[in-house]
Amino acid sequence: MEGSSASLMVRAETRERECWHCSARTGLALVCGQCEAPQPLAAGVDLFAVLGLRRRLVVDPDDLERRYHEASRVVHPDRHQTAGERDRTFSLAASAAVNRAYRTLRDPIARGRYWLELHGSPLGERNNQVPPALAELVFETQEHLAELRGASDPGAARESIETAYADIDARLRALVAELEARYAVWDAAGGETSDALAELKRRLSEIAYLNTLRDDVDETLDALRTPS
Amino acid sequence: MDRVVGIDLGTTNSLVAILEDGGPRVLPDPDTGARLLPSAVSFLPDGEVVVGERARQLAAERPLDTILSVKRFMGLGPEHVTDEDRRRYRFAEGTSGVVRFLAGGRERTAPEVSAYVLRELRRWAERALDEPVSKAVVTVPAYFNDSQRQATKDAGRLAGLEILRLVNEPTAAALAYGLDKGAEGTVAVYDLGGGTFDISILKLRAGIFEVLATNGDTRLGGDDLDTRIADVLLAELPPALAQHPQIRSQVLAMAERAKRALSDQSQTELELVTPDGKPIRRTIRREEFEALVRDLVERTTRPCRQALKDAGVEPADIGEVVAVGGSTRVPLVRRTMEAIFGRVPLTSIDPDEVVALGAGIQAGILMGGRRDMLLLDVIPLSLGIETMGGVFTRLIDRNVTIPVSVKENFTTAVDNQTSVDVHVLQGERELASDNRSLARFSIPIEPQPAGVPRLDMTFLVDANGILSVTATDLRTGRERTVEVKPSYGLTDEQIEQMLEESFDHAEDDIEQRQLREARVDADTILHATRTSLEKHARSLEPGEAERIGGAVAALAAARDGDDHLRIRECYDELSQATEPFARRIMDVALREAVEGRSLEEL
Repeated sequence: MEGSSASLMVRAETRERECWHCSARTGLALVCGQCEAPQPLAAGVDLFAVLGLRRRLVVDPDDLERRYHEASRVVHPDRHQTAGERDRTFSLAASAAVNRAYRTLRDPIARGRYWLELHGSPLGERNNQVPPALAELVFETQEHLAELRGASDPGAARESIETAYADIDARLRALVAELEARYAVWDAAGGETSDALAELKRRLSEIAYLNTLRDDVDETLDALRTPS
Repeated sequence: MDRVVGIDLGTTNSLVAILEDGGPRVLPDPDTGARLLPSAVSFLPDGEVVVGERARQLAAERPLDTILSVKRFMGLGPEHVTDEDRRRYRFAEGTSGVVRFLAGGRERTAPEVSAYVLRELRRWAERALDEPVSKAVVTVPAYFNDSQRQATKDAGRLAGLEILRLVNEPTAAALAYGLDKGAEGTVAVYDLGGGTFDISILKLRAGIFEVLATNGDTRLGGDDLDTRIADVLLAELPPALAQHPQIRSQVLAMAERAKRALSDQSQTELELVTPDGKPIRRTIRREEFEALVRDLVERTTRPCRQALKDAGVEPADIGEVVAVGGSTRVPLVRRTMEAIFGRVPLTSIDPDEVVALGAGIQAGILMGGRRDMLLLDVIPLSLGIETMGGVFTRLIDRNVTIPVSVKENFTTAVDNQTSVDVHVLQGERELASDNRSLARFSIPIEPQPAGVPRLDMTFLVDANGILSVTATDLRTGRERTVEVKPSYGLTDEQIEQMLEESFDHAEDDIEQRQLREARVDADTILHATRTSLEKHARSLEPGEAERIGGAVAALAAARDGDDHLRIRECYDELSQATEPFARRIMDVALREAVEGRSLEEL
């Protein structure tokens, strides 16, 4: 969408924006550079733009945190407590947007999901199908869990489930690391080809599936640790 | 800019502080110089309300009319009142709405009682600063839910204080330490208050205090440690004595002192003076105390682990551990903290004052001072709505930085539906019914075929952790703020009414109040007498049962009449008639206690 006429229009419109309070040009700024009044969020602005970033899959975590802190310092409601009601309303909305942007962009998985949303191809909430690449790991884990339930010696079964947890965790980390490596490749190639989006989607579903599995195993382990 | 003060509205004690150029400062009682205001409110029969140290002392004498830890009841409904609570206080009948104490012959909600504490602190601040004070930052346990936060704001309103910001207690403590030490890095704040436990993990960087995760237990605190000690002593008393509210209250105060003493000493002695002037002594050693409370202290471990996990940090990543709350002086609690985080906790700021000092700093930040510092806090519990089949659907996950807003699209399930009903809840469980209900509301819509109406609802949690909802009808584009009916809170009208009453009806119908008061006292003695007669029948002397029985009947009859003087007369007669009997029960108790101890010493 970047470079399309719609986004150009948004950019043109936002460049024209004026502060509601002192009429200074504000562009996309969250607060007016002149009078510090918080501004309403510009329509059509994405979460990258909220923190002054270009749309890119690769995000530098330190730079992101620095931007987040800078933005928070100027928009947070604590900074506008003594101002009028309108300032406080805009501050609240802008602050919520800044928080959402940081929360979404700092995590490569959430960022990937958001990328799909931005490109009109969101990852569904439900995906019950076992991704083929994970079939073996999934079935092994389910076997361990079944063993544990019927185990006469929970100690031994617990060991195997702890091993399973470590396996899943390692696999998950590897998948996320691979994903981030792909981000750099896709960014270099433009990032929005249908092939790239399809692969992103596949990788994110695998990760989502493993995440759920890891949580299940973790819950089982938690239950073992605390006798009810 | 008006002055803003910082208030730590604690379960046991409350304080008020401000930020000055040199740093935060606690404002003391202008009359006595005390820095801590006991969060105790006593309602006297003549309508007078006593707050603070004197109220705490009155608890022994007037246990039912003296509310000692009202904070435990903030934002709760009658169904959350426990049996232990019922042994300590009287509550108005009712199964819906908010908890109502029956004290001083009137129903009183928790925010009303808290308002007395806030008013007293406001007076302290006004005297110390020599200017009117109408704005405050008030601290709350990090793990307080929406209703408990709202109740705290309501208390402020009733006390004539606009609460500009609710700050989480552990975050406030971190602020005080951060300003003091200029710390950077990851910090854990372990806050064992009088009635609540909180753990928060924060990241401090260049003046930004970012909470990464918080967890806790709003029904676990230092009070519970006291109760365990008290139970030991009470178990060694005869039941008639042990159930007596005044004795219980005395024993509880004694247990609290014993807990303090056992922080520096290996043993301490409890001494109870019974109504007939005889002392009962009981030695308690630190090991015994630790065995009594180990499971309670152990209960703090799980929230700590969960908070670390949610924050995505290992204990080894924690640079400092901060101890908050008087009970963190208990050696067992210290050792538990060290076991969890692998390091010795920081205690350089008085754990009783650190939260108030942090509140004072935040007050200064809001006034525009300290522009270099900023708090970024989180919502402690997930927030969501009830969906089909009683399932809890999360809209906002716990530990997300506030302010946070989420937009949800709603439509209708059946044709010609005239409203969309929404039930908002807070908690971590899968089923709606297992979580805490916050509010219900209903948005009227024009009848149309199912699925046609479209409503956008925005759930916004502000920097105080308090929810508001706006709905937009996408067809008409009309936006409106939703009137939320709180499940366990007061409506605006109720608060207005309370405010009016407190001004207009300060001189309430004294006659009526005295009657209610007398009836309640009559019920108490009648109940105690009947129980003792049953349990200690063998201690009765010939003819005594008849004498007492006659006085009981007279009081019971007077109680149903409406002459409070007559009730008082019969009350006194009954209490005289039972006195020798009560003394005999005490003697038996004393003998048993002495025998018990000599056996132990052998």
